[in-house]
Amino acid sequence: MTTAASSATGLVNGFFEWFGNLGIFSWQVFRAAVTPPFEWRELIRQLDEVGSKSFPLVVMAGSAIGVIISLEARYSLSRFGAKSMFPATLVYSVIQVMGPIITGLVVSGRVGAGIGAELASMKVTEQIDAIEASAINPYRLLAATRILACILMLPLLTLATDACALLTGWFAQTLVEPLSFHQFIQDGFKGSTFSAFMPQTFKTAVYGLIIGLIACFQGMRTRGGAEGVGRAATNSVVLASLFLILADVVLVKFILVVFP
Amino acid sequence: MSRVARLGAFIVVTLAVLAAGVFIIGGKEYLFRSTYQLKAQFDNVGGLASGADVQVGGVHSGTVHSIDLPRKPGDKVTVVMDLDKSTHEIVKQDSVASIETEGLLGNQYLAISFGTAGQADVKNGDTIQSLPPLQMGELLKKAGVILDGAQEAIQNVTQAAGNLKSVTGKVDSGQGTVGALVNDKQIYSNLDQSMTTLHATMLQAQVAVTDFQENMEALKHNILLSAFFKKRGYEDSSGLTANSIGGLPQAAPVKSFTYTAKQLFDGRDSAKLKDQKSLNAGGEFLAQNQFGYAVVVVSAGMEGDTQKDLVLTEARAMVIREYLVENFAFDDSQLKTLGMGKQAGANLDADWGSIQILVFPAGTEIPPNKPAPAVGSSTTDSSKPAQATAASTQKP
Repeated sequence: MTTAASSATGLVNGFFEWFGNLGIFSWQVFRAAVTPPFEWRELIRQLDEVGSKSFPLVVMAGSAIGVIISLEARYSLSRFGAKSMFPATLVYSVIQVMGPIITGLVVSGRVGAGIGAELASMKVTEQIDAIEASAINPYRLLAATRILACILMLPLLTLATDACALLTGWFAQTLVEPLSFHQFIQDGFKGSTFSAFMPQTFKTAVYGLIIGLIACFQGMRTRGGAEGVGRAATNSVVLASLFLILADVVLVKFILVVFP
Repeated sequence: MSRVARLGAFIVVTLAVLAAGVFIIGGKEYLFRSTYQLKAQFDNVGGLASGADVQVGGVHSGTVHSIDLPRKPGDKVTVVMDLDKSTHEIVKQDSVASIETEGLLGNQYLAISFGTAGQADVKNGDTIQSLPPLQMGELLKKAGVILDGAQEAIQNVTQAAGNLKSVTGKVDSGQGTVGALVNDKQIYSNLDQSMTTLHATMLQAQVAVTDFQENMEALKHNILLSAFFKKRGYEDSSGLTANSIGGLPQAAPVKSFTYTAKQLFDGRDSAKLKDQKSLNAGGEFLAQNQFGYAVVVVSAGMEGDTQKDLVLTEARAMVIREYLVENFAFDDSQLKTLGMGKQAGANLDADWGSIQILVFPAGTEIPPNKPAPAVGSSTTDSSKPAQATAASTQKP
């Protein structure tokens, strides 16, 4: 009984400790990021790592999503006799919902795991200590560049996902029922406004922040050997995906309120 | 490919996608074209949202910029729209904005009608007229009322058809008079026979009436009865109004002769002439002069029974006319009579009434003859036996 109670207390303690440490970590990274010198070369390396190297992945994911929504939407809409609404349905669901969230999840899987594992192995092999010893702030060099790269690249990757999804969605539709691409775009964007398009795309910068922050945090606080590295990689992906979806709940409501 | 080049390519591609998106949506929102603003006010915009299409003549030509609620109750909702400059030539001050729906359940958009040529141009920020939107709910309510009415009408028609069916059923089965007529040939032949008999009877009746008239004429000249007619002054009361007119004409007479009844007639209630000679002046005038027509106007005093006095004045007029026609040479169709009946007048009672002979100049229109009193027509009489026959045969 006593052990159960103490373990429960320990869990709650651990839960709050984790958030506390995350807060401290975020503050240290922020302070390091806004003070010179800036690590430009490392930032570009990370932009390439997060952005261009994820590009093929999001293209594949986006294309698949486009086909899926196209098939599903055509079936549901024809049941209601609203087939003419198909382009608008596809554009709306891709741009508003599916594009951002799929990009976030795919990138959190690829980049989150990568950052978590990389930083964790640097931590357990004491490379981070070595960097610190050579008077370089590891938060600035390792964490800030990766987080910033995630923040900058996620919206661009989302745009790529959206574009691929719309293309394959139109392609899947036109195979069944020929529809010119021009007509598809005309109908699809008929009711679209900037207030629907822009916030939904650029909210993924927040996804990027979550992915980068959690992956770096999990990597840099790793303890233990190879086991710790594996755990850090797993935790990075799981927690980043989880927080990303939770954040989306708040973000959607926020966008609806701020951009009616 | 170097790392930087790869990154650059990625950024360029994705930014191109962004630019494409911006231009597609921006084109819909008219952000990159020169526009002008118009306003329209509605009591109810029926769910129109900002960003909705604005169509001019069915062509997408702008977007709804904003929809503002009124500041105080009683004001209207203001819809502000951005319109493409190209519509400036066709949208005029008398253009009307209305909120329409694409199909039954589609998007809502704002439609603007063309203005008429010669009307003033609209300026940026002008408010144009508006039509209230057609709302599905109201439409359905109206349709409901109409359907209710139609249902009631159909019920009435059904009821009427039922009644008609029952009536025709009864006729068909020989119930009632019509049924008997339609179904029983016996009745028809009886009716036919009755009509033939009736016709023969009528012919006989006509002969009998002629005989009776002759008998009456003979009777009048019988010594025993002739005193009555002599005293009365005339024999045939059926010809009293033969030359009577309905009323005096508007024109003024050229000549008039006035007498009192006391001077001319035998008694207060008699039409027998006593002093014919005094009429000669009038008779000679008629014989010697050209005239349009003349009227013998007779009226009685206020004493006595109204109906009797009317007959008396008519009779006196006729008697005078007969005297003049028989004793002087002129066209007798130009001399008319007019019995006025009782008339109020200062000396009428004392003089037993007055007589005037009014002579009207040539060209005066002769007033229409007084309509003959209606006599019961022979058809109504003849229908009675027919009905009686039908009624008597109806009972088996």
